[in-house]
Amino acid sequence: MERVGVFICECGPNIKDAIDIQELVGFASRLDNVVMTLPFRIFGSEEGKELIKQKIRENKLTRVVIAACSPKEHEHTFKQVLEEAGLNGHLLQIANIREQCAWVIRDKTLATEKAKVMLKGAVRRVIHHEPLEKKEIECVPDVLVVGAGVAGIGAALTLAQKNRKVYLIERLPSIGGKVARYEDLFPNLECASCVLEPELDEVFHKENIQILTCCEVEEVLGFFGNFTVKIREKARFVDVDACIGCGACFDACPVKVVNEFNEGLDERKAIYIPYPGALPNVAVIDRGGCVRFNGGECNACQLSCPFGAIHYDAVEKIHELKVGAVVLATGFDLFDPKRAPQYGYGKFDNIYTSLEFERITNSDGPTGGKIQLKDGRAPQSVAIIHCVGSRSERHNEYCSGICCMYSLKFAHLLKDKLPEVKISQFYSDLCLPAKDNQRFLSDLFKKGIELVRLKAAESIEITKKEEKLLVTYKGIFGKEEKAAFDMVILSPAVEPTQDATKIARLFDISQDEYGFFAEEHNKLAPVSTSTEGIFIAGCAQGPRDIQSSVAQGQAAAGRILSRLIPGERVELAVTTAKVDEELCGGCRLCMGLCPFKAITFDEEGRHLRINEVLCRGCGVCGATCPSGAIRSKHFTEKQIFEEIRGLL
Amino acid sequence: MAKPNIALYWCASCGGCEEAVLDLNENLLKVVEAVDIVLWPVAFDFKYKDLEAMKDGEIAVSFINGAIRLSEQERIANLLRRKSGLVIAFGSCAHLGGIPGLANFWDREAIFNRIYKEVPTIDNQECNIPKEIVKIDGKELALPVFYDTVKTLSQVIDVDYYLPGCPPPPDLILQALTAILEDRLPPKGAVLAPAQSLCGDCPRKDSKPEVIHIKEIRRISKIIADPDRCFFEQGVICLGPATRSGCGARCIEANMPCRGCFGPLDNVVDQGGKFLSALASIFDTNDEEEIKKRVDSIIDPAGTFYRFSLPSSILRRRRISNN
Amino acid sequence: MDRFEPKIIGFLCNWCSYEGADAAGKSRRKYPANLRVIRVMCSGRIDPQFVMEAFRVGADGVVILGCHPGDCHYKEGNYKALKRYHLLQKTLAQLGIEKERCTLNWIAASEGEKFAEIVKEMVKKVKQLGPIDNSE
Repeated sequence: MERVGVFICECGPNIKDAIDIQELVGFASRLDNVVMTLPFRIFGSEEGKELIKQKIRENKLTRVVIAACSPKEHEHTFKQVLEEAGLNGHLLQIANIREQCAWVIRDKTLATEKAKVMLKGAVRRVIHHEPLEKKEIECVPDVLVVGAGVAGIGAALTLAQKNRKVYLIERLPSIGGKVARYEDLFPNLECASCVLEPELDEVFHKENIQILTCCEVEEVLGFFGNFTVKIREKARFVDVDACIGCGACFDACPVKVVNEFNEGLDERKAIYIPYPGALPNVAVIDRGGCVRFNGGECNACQLSCPFGAIHYDAVEKIHELKVGAVVLATGFDLFDPKRAPQYGYGKFDNIYTSLEFERITNSDGPTGGKIQLKDGRAPQSVAIIHCVGSRSERHNEYCSGICCMYSLKFAHLLKDKLPEVKISQFYSDLCLPAKDNQRFLSDLFKKGIELVRLKAAESIEITKKEEKLLVTYKGIFGKEEKAAFDMVILSPAVEPTQDATKIARLFDISQDEYGFFAEEHNKLAPVSTSTEGIFIAGCAQGPRDIQSSVAQGQAAAGRILSRLIPGERVELAVTTAKVDEELCGGCRLCMGLCPFKAITFDEEGRHLRINEVLCRGCGVCGATCPSGAIRSKHFTEKQIFEEIRGLL
Repeated sequence: MAKPNIALYWCASCGGCEEAVLDLNENLLKVVEAVDIVLWPVAFDFKYKDLEAMKDGEIAVSFINGAIRLSEQERIANLLRRKSGLVIAFGSCAHLGGIPGLANFWDREAIFNRIYKEVPTIDNQECNIPKEIVKIDGKELALPVFYDTVKTLSQVIDVDYYLPGCPPPPDLILQALTAILEDRLPPKGAVLAPAQSLCGDCPRKDSKPEVIHIKEIRRISKIIADPDRCFFEQGVICLGPATRSGCGARCIEANMPCRGCFGPLDNVVDQGGKFLSALASIFDTNDEEEIKKRVDSIIDPAGTFYRFSLPSSILRRRRISNN
Repeated sequence: MDRFEPKIIGFLCNWCSYEGADAAGKSRRKYPANLRVIRVMCSGRIDPQFVMEAFRVGADGVVILGCHPGDCHYKEGNYKALKRYHLLQKTLAQLGIEKERCTLNWIAASEGEKFAEIVKEMVKKVKQLGPIDNSE
């Protein structure tokens, strides 16, 4: 027999004036199992709380019902009170007679009647409550950074501290992201590798940072403070410790394949290092191109390696990383101009995207830095077209923010390398924010370029006329004009990566309407997401320049450093679900429904099992289970049935 | 020592449970050796007054099959309860209401109208319907009251154990009899079959994918089901996950989905409601129009989910409005 | 039957809809006293058996309230509620409980007014339908 105590809060005049307290007290005291009823001015006060504790002890209460304000206000407080009086906090039920009764019913009689019914429901329910223990685990202070471009590296360097480990994973065989492919950077034309290399070097050698290349995320479980991330590391087939990057293997390799690092402008071998100085400076075999991995016989690279570093039998590895937070810095892809046939890309020669042109100007690129046409001649006239795929109704509505600057940069580079070249920039608006960018344009005028303003970003078409490329466009007055050029450079939009949706789903974050990762708040929370513990940085969040990407990486790191503190404990959900393994017939209908992947199938016992650390207590599985084998703690069928019966 | 007495009685039933007893085959002879059958209307004649004359508890065990739909059935059920030590609800009808329970979608008036007036094959010009008291040649004849609502056995008397199934399989019957004779029965109120769902016993359980989603509901009569794959996975409604095992998955072996005759598991009050929840939860769409389409494609949800268990369900019967 | 006061049971999820109900209270928005609320963590916890039991024990109407799609604290629990709700409604209709007696709505934490309107609408509709005849 339970001993239920009912405490009725008058809440000053709030409840007292709207409900007949005396009648309510009388009613409550006549309910089954109620051994004590007490009204009071304000139970939330120190005096009120002490009174409750006193009455619990005096009357040896085993269950408590408090009729007061909403449980969303003070449930936490009252649970504490019970604990201090020696009763488990879950042996409490609150009847919300303020927000959902006194404040919403004008007629005192009706309000009192409703309060009675609410008390009846609460008393009947609380009898079936069970004590539940609070569960905590220690948070994992380590962090996973996905993407080793400038944003990811910025985050990793800020995070790596004495008592915190950083895992920096990268899909490609080498780190550095897009910036590793650039030659010079705006707005001061500093050399990209001079800026980047020291950072790469530092991140590569820093003690608390573990870099994993050729890796992709496979599965994410858990929550802030306690994530388990499964990473799939593809095989390099080259021993990272033995290889010194001497290049003997690429010399020996008989196969040539398209070189994606140079945007397909030249070829590389099937065993390769992406570029001289790449980190890690270790070769990797491209299975797609390699003769041996496509059924042929060849071991030229292995034979040529003086260090025995090549192992054809290397296998994929799965890493299970335990981290407390994640920074997603997965970068961007460029709009494929083939989607806009008006630009002639892919149809005619000598039309290049910005990334292709970067590689052409790069001293490590396909032409050794020489700016030349397909037939090897230097161009005498170059058109640079802005907003290819940006600011477009058909493609991307937004401005990609960096193209005007790098388009001007190209003009600078062209003029420096080919002083006589004639350059025309076709644009509809110029986007040159930030401190130093306007000067970049003014300096260019001194070198002599033509700026042609278009009526609209897309009022332009490129065709071939004899040996040249013909640019047909509408100027600001709408008149159609034509001009011929040897070379055309397109500035395509910055778009989310191909796998952005896959990553967003894995980490359970939202994407904005364009597919970029959505920030939690446009102004106040630009690097966090609506999923606690998952942060975003760099172009993965939206088009931005290097300075801004690095800033975001550091910002995400800062947020993590202040929230994920080593030694702190994370509270787990208490009202979790549990499978009765004897009853469970293994129908598996629940498994796919758990949004937190907390349910797994025990192959041996042939029943389902719920991981209590991952379970957040939503109860979906409990409602689904057709065998009644899943019990949702604190919201069991019995408890809810009794509450229903009490309320009617 | 005198052999214990047993009684077998039938209420609103089809006779299949009687057949099930006969299906014990040679084992029936062993049974008859161990007990005295004092009442079995299908097998031999008896009079109610003989039953009334017995002492309370004189019958060790009564196996009552069939649902309760007539006052006579209720009366005899009560009588047997008084005269018996143990009462076992035998078969789906007694346990859950069974197929006769589907009559709970209608009431007496609707049923009589249909059977005695509307059915095309009836020739009933005078619109005669059964009445409780009829005078013929100056003598009064009484018929039992035909209830509006079909009830389970436990809704009219205190039941000790339940033997589920439509009908209970012979091996389960034999197990129960042996347990009774050897005094090895579980605590009162138990259902004498395993406490797990049919999925645990299903021959197709290893073919189940990791995640089961329903894209499209397919009716078993309209397709040729793959005999090796889980029905659910093929989009066919199979009540296996919501049904107690113990039948040996006979229907599954015959390439028919489970229809739920063994009733719900121990923790479940309403078999149909729980199954409804499971089925809807795994529709693989979040779009409301698609959801509605899928719901529309289930022709008779209440009849399908409550095929054997309507009287035992929470709502028990259709509410017929007074308007 | 003109003094018929329907009993309405509301299943509210802890996060959005319960907050929405409290919001109505905080702004002193009045609504009929016929509603009795049961709090669950997520609308996805709502078992059709709960709704049936409510009707059995005397509810004349049931409202199910959850978070707007996309806002569920547990990601997609509200969609589970939606799926079960449609199948449940059809099944209840076969059992003589009119579709209008069981409704499902989405309430955000700030939508106190919408909450009050839903309760008013439900009470009005169920009054028209009359009580459920639970006699056997």
